[in-house]
Amino acid sequence: MDKDLKILIVDDFSTMRRIIKNLLRDLGFNNTSEADDGQTALPMLKTGKFDFLVTDWNMPGMDGLVLLKSVRADPDICNMPVLMVTAEAKREQIVIAAGAGVNGYVVKPFTAVTLKEKIEKIFDRLEK
Amino acid sequence: MSNEETPREMEISCLTQAYITRLQSLDVAIKSNDEEAICHIVGDLTTLRESSLYQELGMLTREIHDSITSFGNDERIAQLANEDIPDSKERLNFIVTKTDQAAHRTMAAAEEAMTVMNGLSVDAVTVLNRWSQFRNRELSKDEFTSLSDQITQFFESVVVQSSTVNKQMTDIMLAQDYQDITGQMIQQVVTMVKEVEEKLVRLVAITGLADASPASKKEESKAVNGEIAVGPQLPNVDKKIVVSSQSDVDDLLASLGF
Repeated sequence: MDKDLKILIVDDFSTMRRIIKNLLRDLGFNNTSEADDGQTALPMLKTGKFDFLVTDWNMPGMDGLVLLKSVRADPDICNMPVLMVTAEAKREQIVIAAGAGVNGYVVKPFTAVTLKEKIEKIFDRLEK
Repeated sequence: MSNEETPREMEISCLTQAYITRLQSLDVAIKSNDEEAICHIVGDLTTLRESSLYQELGMLTREIHDSITSFGNDERIAQLANEDIPDSKERLNFIVTKTDQAAHRTMAAAEEAMTVMNGLSVDAVTVLNRWSQFRNRELSKDEFTSLSDQITQFFESVVVQSSTVNKQMTDIMLAQDYQDITGQMIQQVVTMVKEVEEKLVRLVAITGLADASPASKKEESKAVNGEIAVGPQLPNVDKKIVVSSQSDVDDLLASLGF
């Protein structure tokens, strides 16, 4: 896995962004940026040449599901792998996220091991 | 409740007694074929029936009136609305701030400690490699002198850095003091919510809302659009619709071909 991947972390709580950022750094990914909701994230994704998006679902402004759909609808960034890290734990919601084209789904609270597994799984699939 | 009759029950039993007396007189009048008496008693019964209806209606009206008045006169409700609810909002906001601060303080200390530990680890590897070279007789006398200095410096730095990490661990521990104060505040809010709930239940009972809303409407108001984020779910509540662990999520996604 390319450790220089440029990753965008989107969550409205700075605490959660910091946790994810630290865990990613522990996994060797140092090239991370942050945004606090979809509205801030989308323009960054369009121009920032990001390789990977980690997003929460429940956020003010634009939520993570709308962000995911917007990414998939934009021809320039529609192939970007997206990992959702969220407290939304209803089966119906997971099915909806899958339908919208999410690459991985982690429910909060999560462990470092889970995050690592999901990220590795996403990139394993992409390399195949 | 004691065995004594309430005023309402007494009124009802008086009423029953009045009917019984008249019906007995009617029985006597019929047997003796006293038409005038029959007419009189039947008229009497009709009046009694009507007046008892008005009495019932009057009593019901009074009960409703009393309930509404007592509800309206409940100063606690005004206090809840004007003081306790705004106060609880303040408390909840304070809890959000306090937990946020604690989380950042903890993470800052952990991040610093991790940096220190990483530095120590790198230094240890360097010294260890030099030490292995020495044991393999690969170092000159001068190089050994330099290694000896390096080892001394390393030990000195371990002493200093351990104390730094120790301080950060203490800070992490102290940052958890939010739990005590926020825990107490949450309990206060829970007590307030419980009181409001009781008042609302009373209000619903008075207005009879509970019976008025059809079951289908209740279902409707509970159903939510799956695309709208609703935030964290309580564990062990609504087990059917909520996943209980990451492995549940993985199984569900696997069943969808992920």
